[in-house]
Amino acid sequence: MSDFSGFSNEDEAVADGLRSLHAAPGGDAYWSELEARIMARVADVEMGWWAELDRWVRPALAAAAVLVLAAGLAIFRAHEADQQLASDSMLSSPAVPVFTGIRPALQDDKEAAVRFLFGH
Amino acid sequence: MPLSSDAASPGNERALVIAAQRGSSDAFAALVRLHQRRAYAVCRAIVLTHEDAEDAVQEGFLHAYKALDRFLPDQPFGAWLYRIMANASLDLVRRRKVRDADELPDTLALPFRDPGESDELRRRLNQALTTLSERQRSVIVLHDVEGFTHGEIGNMLGIPEGTARSDLHHARAALRRVLKDVRSDL
Repeated sequence: MSDFSGFSNEDEAVADGLRSLHAAPGGDAYWSELEARIMARVADVEMGWWAELDRWVRPALAAAAVLVLAAGLAIFRAHEADQQLASDSMLSSPAVPVFTGIRPALQDDKEAAVRFLFGH
Repeated sequence: MPLSSDAASPGNERALVIAAQRGSSDAFAALVRLHQRRAYAVCRAIVLTHEDAEDAVQEGFLHAYKALDRFLPDQPFGAWLYRIMANASLDLVRRRKVRDADELPDTLALPFRDPGESDELRRRLNQALTTLSERQRSVIVLHDVEGFTHGEIGNMLGIPEGTARSDLHHARAALRRVLKDVRSDL
């Protein structure tokens, strides 16, 4: 690769001219002020985040409260409906036949007891 | 304890970067103090005016602050920061181009500090800079005025080192011609 880095006296004179065109502002006051402006913008970013959060907090809380209320109401109504259904089904369902059965062993004991009474 | 930016050693800078990443605005302010002059020089080499350079520096530091979490403290902070500055400046130049498409100036704006101080060489250099490409202008200022290496310039502007060398060569040749003309005229 060609070496383009040779720096002649003419280049030095041009660089001097460029330096005077592009020189940074001097004086500490200028740099302190620029630093303050930069840090103010940084603070704005931080504050912007909090402000954005703050802007959303109230509507978010209101929405959450409405949701909680709606959910509570829905649960209450569902519970009430369940109770109504249960009581309706109890009142309207036919009587369940009760089957009584005597265990064979008991049956045998009863017969044995009758036979014993009448046999003696 | 206030954070000092007096000792600009790499170790101190690394400590400042880590503190800033943990949320210390004092540490970030110290990094701003350490780098703002060089950052300004990078921006000034790319944009056309002092005012634009100031805007680009502020934008650049803001980008750096937002991207600080992604920076690895073992890397050189300056190189990372100056690349952000260069990008902020290039963005600004692109936006200006769109905005000022119909009213390009014949000469670049002179620095605001010394409007009266304009010798013939400065005046003609100022004119000649407009004939260079944006990249050639940035490369010659970053190299010959600010002392950045070809590699650093390539990294900042997102171009190969060889391209930076070539741009420097062509820019120097063009400005040398201006100097020769001025000397022959005087």
